[in-house]
Amino acid sequence: MKRIIYTILAILFTATVFAQNDLIQKANEHYAKEEFQKAIDGYNQILMAGIESPEVYFNLGNAYYKTKQYTLSILNYERAKLLAPDDQDVEFNLQVANQKVVDSIQELPGIFIVRWWNAIVNSQTTDTWAVISIICFVVFLTMMGFYFFAKTSEVKRITFWSGCFLILFTIFSWSFAAKQKSRLVNHSYAIVMQPTVTVKSSPSEKGTNLFVIHEGLKVRITDKLGDWVEISLSDGNKGWLLTESVERI
Amino acid sequence: MIRKIKIVLVFMLVGLVAMADSTQFVMEGPEVVAMGEQFRLGFTLNERGTDLQLPDLSNFDVLMGPSTSQSSSIQIINGKTTQTSSFSYIFILRAKKEGKFSIRPASIKVGGKTYESNSLNIQVVKGQPQQSSGQQGGSQQNAQQQQDDTPSGNISKDNLFVRVAVDKTNVSKGEQILSTVKLYISQNVPLNGFDDVKLPSYEGFWTKDIDVPTQVNFTREVYNGKIYQVGILKKTILFPQQTGNIRIDPFEITCLVRQRVRQQQGFFDDFFDNYRVVKAKVVSDPVTINVKDLPNQPANFNGAVGNFTFSGTLDKTTAKSNEAMTLKLTVSGTGNLNLINPPKIELPQDFEAYEPKTTDKTMASDNGMSGSVTFEYLFIPRYAGNFTIPAVQFVSFNPSTRQFVTKSTEAFNIKIEKGKDDQNSGVVNSYSKEDVKMIGKDIRYIKQNRTQLKPKGSTFYGTIEFYSIFILSTLAFAVFYVVNRKKIEESKNLTLVKNKRANKVALKRLKEASGFLKSNQAEKFYEAVIKALWGYLSDKLAIPVADLNREKAAASLLDKGIEQDVVSELMKIIDDCEFARYAPSAFSGTMTEIYDGAAKVMGIFEKQIK
Repeated sequence: MKRIIYTILAILFTATVFAQNDLIQKANEHYAKEEFQKAIDGYNQILMAGIESPEVYFNLGNAYYKTKQYTLSILNYERAKLLAPDDQDVEFNLQVANQKVVDSIQELPGIFIVRWWNAIVNSQTTDTWAVISIICFVVFLTMMGFYFFAKTSEVKRITFWSGCFLILFTIFSWSFAAKQKSRLVNHSYAIVMQPTVTVKSSPSEKGTNLFVIHEGLKVRITDKLGDWVEISLSDGNKGWLLTESVERI
Repeated sequence: MIRKIKIVLVFMLVGLVAMADSTQFVMEGPEVVAMGEQFRLGFTLNERGTDLQLPDLSNFDVLMGPSTSQSSSIQIINGKTTQTSSFSYIFILRAKKEGKFSIRPASIKVGGKTYESNSLNIQVVKGQPQQSSGQQGGSQQNAQQQQDDTPSGNISKDNLFVRVAVDKTNVSKGEQILSTVKLYISQNVPLNGFDDVKLPSYEGFWTKDIDVPTQVNFTREVYNGKIYQVGILKKTILFPQQTGNIRIDPFEITCLVRQRVRQQQGFFDDFFDNYRVVKAKVVSDPVTINVKDLPNQPANFNGAVGNFTFSGTLDKTTAKSNEAMTLKLTVSGTGNLNLINPPKIELPQDFEAYEPKTTDKTMASDNGMSGSVTFEYLFIPRYAGNFTIPAVQFVSFNPSTRQFVTKSTEAFNIKIEKGKDDQNSGVVNSYSKEDVKMIGKDIRYIKQNRTQLKPKGSTFYGTIEFYSIFILSTLAFAVFYVVNRKKIEESKNLTLVKNKRANKVALKRLKEASGFLKSNQAEKFYEAVIKALWGYLSDKLAIPVADLNREKAAASLLDKGIEQDVVSELMKIIDDCEFARYAPSAFSGTMTEIYDGAAKVMGIFEKQIK
């Protein structure tokens, strides 16, 4: 199912996609020859064309890591993770790159159910959840058919309950897909791009200096006012900083 | 080869020392003189000599000489008596013309042997002492007037100044610069001493002072066409640590100058000149040095700028495990030796390595920083086997050619035999385990497989396709449902058709029966009637024949609103038929009666069941 849809999409963008695939090959070759700067340029060219894939972000992150631009590599790993949340390689490299980040922030543990819930939501991409919801729905309809035209009460009982579960699954996977999509669209997380940033208590230069964070740190954007954004750290601290000092994932 | 050279060098040195011990013949004279000035040219010999051959002195007038003098001294140190004596020949010369002249060595005979002196270079500049003294006479009055107001004002910048002289102002980063702080004093300014010396801070440089005698020796030097007494106050080697224009802050010194004070108060005062010491603060001009950055540096460049040789030695090539070994890397030459970082060596993985120890034998001289720096790497092989330490590379920057020079040692092959202390192996294991962990710390390799590219931010979720799949499948289900329902309806209609057809079929059966009636075939007649009745009921009541029995049929008929007597009549006809078939004796009615009864009942049903 997924493949068919992708094929349809691919046909729509055939011309560009084929050209870009060559570009990826070329950039990969540059990477293999340790010409990391050329590889970076190649990957960026692909992304400039408005086309993306988790692999491109991952490889770009690798090339940035090799040229010691750790902040940019973290940014690209995070982007790859957004598109492929269940990829082990992305997760591993992100962890390695994160060791270069100055700030170590103790993450708030949170309620385990919420954590599990988020883990389930993040385990699949938007599209996978969308496909799951479609499959569930189609099976649900089949069950409905059996229910309506079944002669015996045994069959009716089984199909009724499985139909109920399936419609629940459909709704959940639909909402998961919606949640993942909103993460992709809203970019509520960002990476600090400037070496040192002082976080203020209010959106102005005059605000009290609250704390200092360093480049490479992942923050959540919670509000926006003019040139300023309100960020919240994973340890719960909140403050304002200039939009230009962070890059949305 | 090197050893041979060393031996030769040693012999030469010994020879020199021996010569120095026996006979020394030295020519002495000033470096700079003014035109018309008288000066001394002296020859000193530490033994009695004969037949002094003077070099060509045609550029000078020999005013007097030679005047000979002799001195001898006897020293008794720890009972050892040493006697030294020296003979000197002094000539008084006067320069005839300006220019640079070199005086060739003189020679003298001592005991049949001829000794040659050193040669001298003498620069003759435009004479001024006479002129200036004449001018001085004229300006004395004015100067004196000023002097009364400001005692230090008389010492003009021309007569007394400090200069920070650097040997080059355009350098590469890390290239050495020789900075000399010189004090220039006009010959007629008597200097009494110094006070308040403020050395330049040399910010932006790594510095190394060259030893100069604390007692400042003055030599004559020409600067801007004038002869000065020049004293070297400080010599420093500078290594620029940053790029761009670096300003060396001025050097400040307060000189104590003795000045004659002529007071016109009394008659006798003129006889005895009064001197007083005047403080004069002199500040040098700031010097700016332009430092260029090094061109694109190779990765293994470790900051060495200069001209170096590089060598490496390993103390042994075979060892037992857990036995320490040292690798010595030596960098020698001139340049920023103290600023060189230890080169990186690549040891085999399970070698335990320690931080390199750096020892430097460097010397700062007028030629810059020279000597050698040795890096000692101590390491302990933990396992037996054959290992190779790859060639160590040393990259230095040569400022004169502005190029990087790479020198490398040979690769070292090491053979490690198994050591005795096996009880250490447990510890060793943990070492190597940790090493393995450390090696694994790198990012995973890029993904090579062809990827599914899609436009940014596009997801299948939320597209028209996504929603249409839901809508279409619901529609498909609806269509399926409707079609299926219709089929069920139709099958219901089938019963209706059957119902409609029931009478026809029954009549047909009855007709058949009437045929049997006429031909008086009783058995077949009853059978046909029974069949016709059951078939009729089955079709009419939509109950399969197999499921049909008297009770079911009666209940169903009563349900459909048939009166009790009609049902009973039907049952009676059925009973009669069965009696007539299986027990003809118990049956009293006629075939015609049954036939009519069946037709009548069917007629009633036909009217009442729809």
